[in-house]
Amino acid sequence: MQPDINEHTRSADAPGAGRVLAEGTAMLSVRNLKKVYQTDGRPVEAVRNLTFDLRPGELACLVGPSGSGKTTLLKCISGLMAPTEGEVLLDGAKVTGPPKKMAVVFQEYGRSLFPWMRVRENVELPLKNQGMAKPERDRLVDEALEAVGLSHVPKSYPWQLSGGMQQRVAIARAVAYQPEVLLMDEPFAAVDAQTRADLEDLIRAVWKKLGVTVLFVTHDIDESVYLGERVIILSSSPTVVQEDLLIDLPAERDQLNTRALPRFTELRHHVYEQIQLAKTGQRPAAASR
Amino acid sequence: MRIAKGLLYALGLPALLVLAWWAGTTGAKNFFVPTPGALVSTFTDTWFGNRILTDVLPSLGRLFVGVLSAIILGILAGLLIGSVRWLRALTEPVLEFFRAVPPPVLVPVLMLLMCITDGMKVAVIISGCIWPVLLNTIEGVRAIDGVLSDSARTYGISGWARVRYLVLPSAGPQVMAGVRQCLSIGLILMVISEMFASSSGLGFTIVQFQRSFAVPEMWSGIVILGLIGVAMSLIFQFTERHILRWYHGLREVENAA
Repeated sequence: MQPDINEHTRSADAPGAGRVLAEGTAMLSVRNLKKVYQTDGRPVEAVRNLTFDLRPGELACLVGPSGSGKTTLLKCISGLMAPTEGEVLLDGAKVTGPPKKMAVVFQEYGRSLFPWMRVRENVELPLKNQGMAKPERDRLVDEALEAVGLSHVPKSYPWQLSGGMQQRVAIARAVAYQPEVLLMDEPFAAVDAQTRADLEDLIRAVWKKLGVTVLFVTHDIDESVYLGERVIILSSSPTVVQEDLLIDLPAERDQLNTRALPRFTELRHHVYEQIQLAKTGQRPAAASR
Repeated sequence: MRIAKGLLYALGLPALLVLAWWAGTTGAKNFFVPTPGALVSTFTDTWFGNRILTDVLPSLGRLFVGVLSAIILGILAGLLIGSVRWLRALTEPVLEFFRAVPPPVLVPVLMLLMCITDGMKVAVIISGCIWPVLLNTIEGVRAIDGVLSDSARTYGISGWARVRYLVLPSAGPQVMAGVRQCLSIGLILMVISEMFASSSGLGFTIVQFQRSFAVPEMWSGIVILGLIGVAMSLIFQFTERHILRWYHGLREVENAA
């Protein structure tokens, strides 16, 4: 019944590159991105050549074997790090520093929230820093805390909360900032499995409600298939796009039923296979230039 | 009940020490060690009079100005040096040199340069007190967590806002550790700056008493210095707990885990 995955859902325009949209229609474009670090005088190539596009309002997951430069890529996209070659375009404009339209949620929730500020102050700070008026600020903070289910702990300090709740605070801070693009760097890698499932659903809910473009980096294959409308699979280092896969699961997803779908299993298998291939060094043709 | 217990612990050892002192001095007549009773009466006679105005308060004033200036200067310079890499590389060896110079030897030098003024005494206090604050602030600023710094950057928190919301609070625990050292050094230097050519102040008075064999008076001066030290420590602890409440809470959670 199901069509072959490779014929119908694969959308890579060229080997080693992800899907590319027509000019002016992408929210986020990564073009021929390359990053080489200098360590002890020896260059280390973290990312070789990455190209892909995200259309506005899309939720894409980025998976890859460990050490495939996912975090490096995210740092380049968020403007925290300059790429060695290539460029990142946000809404058509080249990213040279952290853009105002972008928010990042890091894996290390314990180190990304200000421990000397209460939950509410943490969420409020970026808005206050922009010079936003108090009433509007209050409204956005209230909404954001409500959206992540934390309206009952505004006066706590982050370290008084559990890991999952701390990550919710970080998500609330990102949501209140009203970004057009939300980057998430393995945000649930350090929380327990049940909390993780809740947070995954929270991300889907927030994404639907806000219509924000989300790039979600993870090393968890199930998570990438469950969350994404699309999964971009990275090769092992030196990194190129191994495959850019459309996830044709129904838009309404829930932990029990979606994960029980035969199609979920197929997609999951496929991603898993690709990552195994990537690990053994099998690369899309013409990518190893 | 808990307060009473705490008080008992706090005052227990001092009470025992005074008791031992009393037992050791009542029988024997030693000219150089007064009895507790004699010391108390000397204490009130000596210090609750004109001396508060002529010696105690001026000394405390200089101590306060000196320590406060050292803290402010140390933090400001520390923020600057800690945030600018080349400045740090440039200043670090020089700072190590100046820190190694014992401040008392600066007293004669500063006396020549600034004459015997309040300014000179304050300068002596600053010259010794600034180092722990400065060096700790530099370390604190340098040790800001990379993820926290990245978070602030992605939310466009830069410039003064970065200093206020990220750098200062993050360096807070280190800075306060420096301030704690700075206070005790300040008290020592206050006394020393008044021991050389001076005409008023606690250090001067105590040395005067000693030279004129006014032994109980001299001891009472030492007691006053001890009491000032205790008061400073209490004020510091109160302030530190207030400013670093988050830090102590965080540590507690981390230790419990």
